[in-house]
Amino acid sequence: MDKIDHKKVLATRIAAGLGRRAVLKGMGAGLLTTAASGLAPRLASAQSGGHITIAALNHIDTLDPHFTGFLAAIQVINNIHNGLLKIVYDGKAVTFEPDLAESWELLDDVTHVFKLREGVTFHDGTPCDAEAVKFSLLRVKEGEPASPHAWKLSLLETIEIQDPLTIKLTFSKPYAFLPVALNGSTGRAGTIVSPAAVQKYGADYGRNPVGTGPFRFVSWRENDAIELEKNPDYFEEGLPRLDRATWKLMKEPSSAVAALMAGQVDGMTDCPMQLVSQVDAFPGATLYGEIEGNYTFVGMNTRKAPFDDINLRRAVAWALDRETLLKQAYFGRAIQAFTPISPPMTGFYDPEIASSGRGQWFDLDKAKEFRAKAANQGEIEAVYMMSERGPVGTRVAQTVAPMLAQIGIKAKLELIEPATWVQRRNAGDFDLFDFEWVADLDPDETLFPEFKSGGAWNFPGWSSPEFDELCTQAQVVLDVPKRAELYHKAEDILMDEAPIAMMAHMPVYKVLSTKVQGFQYIPADLLNLHTVSIG
Amino acid sequence: MLLMALKKVLQTVFVLFIVSVASFSLLKLAPGDPVEIMLGSEYSAEAHAALVRQLGLDQPLVTQYLDWLGNFVTGDWGTSYIARADIFTYAFVEALPVTLTLAAFSLGLAVVLGVPLGVLSAVKKDTAWDAGAAVFALTGTAFPSFFLGILLIWVFGVKFGLFPVMGFVPPWEDFWGGLYHMILPALTLSTYFIAMIVRLTRATLVEVLAQPYIAAARARGEPGWRVVWVHGLRNIAMPLVTIIGLQLGTLLQGAVLTETVFSLPGAGQMITSAVLGREYGVVQAGVVMTATLFVLVNLAVDLAYPFLDPRLRPR
Amino acid sequence: MTDTATVAPRARRRSTSMLRRRPFFTLGLAVALAFALAAIFAPYVAPYDPTFQDIEFMMTGPGAQHWLGTDSYGQDILSRIIFGARYALAIGLCSVAIGALGGLVIGLAAGLSDGLVEWLLMRLIDSILAMPSLIMAVAFIAILGQGVDKVIIAVGIAMIGPFARTVRADVMQVRVQLFVEAAGLMGVARLRIIWRHILPNVVYPLAVQVTIRISEAILVSSSLSFLGIGVTPPTPDWGLMIAEGRGFVSFAAWMSGMPGAALAILLIALSLVGDGIREEFDPKLRDGA
Repeated sequence: MDKIDHKKVLATRIAAGLGRRAVLKGMGAGLLTTAASGLAPRLASAQSGGHITIAALNHIDTLDPHFTGFLAAIQVINNIHNGLLKIVYDGKAVTFEPDLAESWELLDDVTHVFKLREGVTFHDGTPCDAEAVKFSLLRVKEGEPASPHAWKLSLLETIEIQDPLTIKLTFSKPYAFLPVALNGSTGRAGTIVSPAAVQKYGADYGRNPVGTGPFRFVSWRENDAIELEKNPDYFEEGLPRLDRATWKLMKEPSSAVAALMAGQVDGMTDCPMQLVSQVDAFPGATLYGEIEGNYTFVGMNTRKAPFDDINLRRAVAWALDRETLLKQAYFGRAIQAFTPISPPMTGFYDPEIASSGRGQWFDLDKAKEFRAKAANQGEIEAVYMMSERGPVGTRVAQTVAPMLAQIGIKAKLELIEPATWVQRRNAGDFDLFDFEWVADLDPDETLFPEFKSGGAWNFPGWSSPEFDELCTQAQVVLDVPKRAELYHKAEDILMDEAPIAMMAHMPVYKVLSTKVQGFQYIPADLLNLHTVSIG
Repeated sequence: MLLMALKKVLQTVFVLFIVSVASFSLLKLAPGDPVEIMLGSEYSAEAHAALVRQLGLDQPLVTQYLDWLGNFVTGDWGTSYIARADIFTYAFVEALPVTLTLAAFSLGLAVVLGVPLGVLSAVKKDTAWDAGAAVFALTGTAFPSFFLGILLIWVFGVKFGLFPVMGFVPPWEDFWGGLYHMILPALTLSTYFIAMIVRLTRATLVEVLAQPYIAAARARGEPGWRVVWVHGLRNIAMPLVTIIGLQLGTLLQGAVLTETVFSLPGAGQMITSAVLGREYGVVQAGVVMTATLFVLVNLAVDLAYPFLDPRLRPR
Repeated sequence: MTDTATVAPRARRRSTSMLRRRPFFTLGLAVALAFALAAIFAPYVAPYDPTFQDIEFMMTGPGAQHWLGTDSYGQDILSRIIFGARYALAIGLCSVAIGALGGLVIGLAAGLSDGLVEWLLMRLIDSILAMPSLIMAVAFIAILGQGVDKVIIAVGIAMIGPFARTVRADVMQVRVQLFVEAAGLMGVARLRIIWRHILPNVVYPLAVQVTIRISEAILVSSSLSFLGIGVTPPTPDWGLMIAEGRGFVSFAAWMSGMPGAALAILLIALSLVGDGIREEFDPKLRDGA
């Protein structure tokens, strides 16, 4: 099929509202503008070769895209593998584009046809064809051992191979989440792995990943480094520019900053908030980072006293001084969150939310009003569990505790190590905790699994049939404003019943030395190196 | 002699057994579930149950321990749960040599700096030199090693750009490169030992210098340096070796922090991250490995005594 | 150094007090006492509430208002250091007490028993010694939970091994000495022998060890804070303050530098005291010096 025809068909379908729902506004435009020209800005003079070393600060669990639970692992995986689709960012909006697919069509609202690029091979030499795509999708959906991401493809009904390079997927519902699920990054479900390698290595695939990506896996030494080398047969012409890439695994962020300043590493996969101003002030490096699709909150356990009391929860929600929190816990780098839906969710996020009257903010009088309505009028002692984890460690808890004291809640701060923290969070063994949901691109994934009644991630244990109903409805609505309205209603219920007190939308940082050129920033915590060169 | 050796081996095996049981039960007593940690925050209950079953974590604890023990002694150290690292390669081939290198360089540095300072203190006893050496040695021990390491990194690594601040270069591949990369970590780790060796040298030497035979040597007209270095230092070897054997545990403990600060992929970092991540197999391997090392070094110290002190040689 | 030079001061020493003869010891003792006093009277001495967060003065350098500056929450560092002396001393003293007591019991038992019991106790001591104490502390913290009391227990338990070994070695020495054997032959009760003859000879070297180990306990507890599993913030604990401040070393060095200096000064003072006591009373060293 001719490329131009494809674009026309797709554009028409999007315009006609027949196709899948645009996950983010601007997707159609993205498809039209960049699909023809290819991705990389072709710099004829850009030099090839070079070896980049990047300090990897966060935990990397496995390089198997279908089994990882960590974004830090996705950063590496994305340089080794491709997905059917990929995320592209033009500085304003995030869009999804075909990656391994040459074209992507919708026959109707549940049927997707992908035509694959010709001649793409995995690093082990085997072809990346429709069979391989089917293999990967099935590995996620019903493979044994079960992938933790299987639920992302639970609506996928049939996979039909039409010819060696064409594959047709039929879903049981028009599926808003599809682009994310298919994508090789945050979705993790649509990344294509070499069937031959999976058969060869079995459960050890995560130590021997074989994809189609710009870099080949070389070695992984625990606590030391992950080494990648150039894939000379990569399908995007002229890429990658680098010969080698090393992910130096470092646990101590201040050492990583020192290594960056001493020129021993060329970048960092993350930059903890307390180090941002140091890195910002350092002339030898560029800080990349924008507010991403995330939100942080103080969660309250609604299953037991004292926070089974809605008025007490509301009191907490209005008692947090967000300005102080942003300054002290997030070093002034984050923005206030009024509701969970975050700025990158164009069309769903209201840029004027601060004056819209929706959501939660700081109002001590209101907090005291609610506190006066609470069942327990004595001093309340609540266990606030915290851990040296997440973007700011225990800073939120330490800043929040004096604020809670103002409304007669004595937060008993308990520092526990991360493994215990995770277990207690999942078991609901806490009164208060703070947490963040990150790297979400769609309002559904940012709201529904997190607060669905009885859902596994619903740590506050909150339940609202009305909220569930609104989110379920929104899943099958195609029109963005209509869908947004449903989510806003759902959010209003959530904010009013206050199982969580909203805090911030955070920037997620990447740091690269000024020697590094050609990096394309994508606000989904990705660090794709295929266009990067080092001078 | 053979019986002695057999007894020692039996003792060692028994100690290692206790150590492995202890570390296994300690870790199992601790709350925290490796599967929850490895799955991150987005997973389903089915995935969790499947993984628990697959890893054998639903078995009774005794069965789990015996399975591990059976495999371990037959040379199958297993793989880490989710990263699927081969534990033998990870612990023995990759991590252990790093820690041994760090320990060796640190001890070397401690002896090279500590003994002369101790001699200076003893010879110039109760003078400003003595006080200066004591303060120098003490200051080193008074900083937590992670803090000292970070200070050294900022001052010597970033500000003056003299030394690398991270990474490990195997000295058996590139000796000078390895040494260069080890200077800051070894300095960090050795401060504690420098102080100890300074004190030890000083105390021993002060005692020795008061002995009649030293006075005799002086009376014979032997030069002062010869009296100190030949007669005096001959007596330092033994307490020095004893201290090294005794304090090996402290050294390995310091290695945990030093390795984290300097991003060295050694056994200390391995065990801490495994404890925090509940990677039982890795912890077991690491603890048994370090315990073996500890026992062996102390055995070697015992064996070395007769060579260092003629009085202890069997007649 | 001639013989007369060493004899002369020794003669003088006998007549003057230890405080005058050992200026370093005196200095150390004075500093340690000053810390202890600061700890006891912290609420009266400290200029601010150690956990009061002043958002207007976040990360201010040392100056007139905050003598030693403020940390990243705007808490006054001087006040935190003064209150922190309480935690440092509590952690140092209590965990060493646990270690010494445990070591005394196990060491005595091992030194006085025979046969299989002795063998088993010895192997137990070996095993405790063979496990790196920081790793053990981490495991205990994982089990017990976190907080100052838990840190004390974890550090204390990890210290039992070294103490037990010293005690046992001393017991073995005393045990074969004539007066003990004589008492045994004369039919003096076993417990009485232990109480009257063995314990006094063992407790004394133990006391010397204690002064040295206090520093170690404080250092281990601060290492736990570095690993993120020690004392609960915002407790004004020095180790925690150093660990929290390490991210700001390049531009706000006072945040971990000040508590680091406080820790260093206390540890140096303690080891001067320890050295003084050892040199004064250890028969072996006293004869030599």
